[in-house]
Amino acid sequence: MTNPAYWLDRKFGLRNHTVAHYAWVIVAIAGVVQMVGAAIRMAFGVLVDPLVESFGWTPGSIGIAYALMSIVTALASPIAGYLGNRFGARNTMAVGTALFFIGMMWTSQTSAIWELYVAYGTVFGIAQALLLVPVVPAVAAWFRRHLGLGTGIMMVSWSLGPALVVQVLAVLFETVGWSSAFVIVGVVGTGILAFVLIYFRNTPEDANRIAYGTLPNDKPLVTEGNVFVSTQKEFQRFVYKTNAFWNLINIHFLGCVGHAVILVGIIPMAINKGVGPLTAAGVLTTISVISVSTRFITPILSDKFSAKTVMFLSFFGQGVGVFLLFTADSALDFYVFAVLWSIPYGGEGTAFPVVNRQYYGHFPIGTTYGWQLLGAGLGMALGGAIPGLVFDITGTYAWAVGLSAAFSLAGAAGIALLEPTRHQLIPAWPELEDGPIRATAPEENRKPSPEAGD
Amino acid sequence: MASATDQNQKPAVPELEGFSISRPPFLGYGLIASSVIGSVALLIYFGAWAATDRIENRALASGKVTELQDGEWWEDGLIFACPLH
Repeated sequence: MTNPAYWLDRKFGLRNHTVAHYAWVIVAIAGVVQMVGAAIRMAFGVLVDPLVESFGWTPGSIGIAYALMSIVTALASPIAGYLGNRFGARNTMAVGTALFFIGMMWTSQTSAIWELYVAYGTVFGIAQALLLVPVVPAVAAWFRRHLGLGTGIMMVSWSLGPALVVQVLAVLFETVGWSSAFVIVGVVGTGILAFVLIYFRNTPEDANRIAYGTLPNDKPLVTEGNVFVSTQKEFQRFVYKTNAFWNLINIHFLGCVGHAVILVGIIPMAINKGVGPLTAAGVLTTISVISVSTRFITPILSDKFSAKTVMFLSFFGQGVGVFLLFTADSALDFYVFAVLWSIPYGGEGTAFPVVNRQYYGHFPIGTTYGWQLLGAGLGMALGGAIPGLVFDITGTYAWAVGLSAAFSLAGAAGIALLEPTRHQLIPAWPELEDGPIRATAPEENRKPSPEAGD
Repeated sequence: MASATDQNQKPAVPELEGFSISRPPFLGYGLIASSVIGSVALLIYFGAWAATDRIENRALASGKVTELQDGEWWEDGLIFACPLH
């Protein structure tokens, strides 16, 4: 009988890995940035009641601040990605940290609804894009190989951050009030971000190190200078000409509509079926906890096998899984749904850095990833609006569940139409060598050379 | 192991060996356009449904015939835009 440890070693090449590499420091920093940057967004629900009590604003008018923040973050994402490519992720995130501090302090002193829209909706929305978009391409730059492993570890923070910060905010709101809570979280969060950015480096070359997974015969990649800037512009034009660029934005949009409907609607859906509020909240917690596993494993599987196949299975599972909600009418049914659905849901958005690597190689993906997050952000905004809108009209969540399935399955169909991931779609990113710098074009896209004879 | 190298040693634009993508990404454009159109159609459909309900409720409350009840500008706009309402 095969020893499972040997099998894992052979299959995943475990002997090639080490924890003694600065790339893991970068992954840890990226995890912290994602936690702080995304947590306040996820914790918005905790803010609504204190604002209603303090100012008498309606939940609907307060909710506009959240919608505005989501849309601003989405629209700012491509710009944040470009800035990360052009000026470096560290500088971009430093500006994001400053805006995070301003947004938090201003929100804490808000006394008019328009201030909430500017401070939370706009300033914090831009800060979130500047913090969350450039960090993922920067992590990618630290992995010559095994990007899936680095991405998987980083993506775990997507679930853990909000889970931690929601609890912290709830305790702070209770003990010191919402305004002081924002001041405390703003100061502590800014301090943490400023501290970790001291140790952040955009590329291995910035730290005078080599990328994780670099082999002895690998040549260093071009990461700065005039060649870097001019090649980036040229390659970005190639990227815009690929179907995958447009389709991946579309796919991220469709997938995010599909799961935003469930994440926003699952608690009211369960309560509507007679499940108690606390038990219903536990359904969402179950989804958050179990999805951590697939957030971690999906990029690794995508890296090892085909990102396209893994993404298709995630989207298909997310779409088909919601059919369980059509017959769910007890707490047990909802928990069974939470366990089964969270597996494909966790893998829905985490393979994008890996599929970008498979299509575009070591080309800096900041702008490209920013466009994909634009699709994701708009999808989250639309998906978040669907359950309430549809329930108000029809008096049932059945339509919302059906739409969630339709969007996820449309995303799966979009993935099926993606180009195969076996070959890069653009030339290989140039390496430094003794001769002229060359970027190798994939075979199928090469023009016949005029000098070449038949 | 390779080491970090001076990045400015070759300040030349890379030679792309005749690489080109001649055909525009029609499939990508089409898929993203269909999602945008589908999503806008969905919002118009449900928005018009909600607008119709609101107008009917106001008409019922004021004892008017629905056709004589004035709608808000956005309600009239959504109903005008939706061919199904």
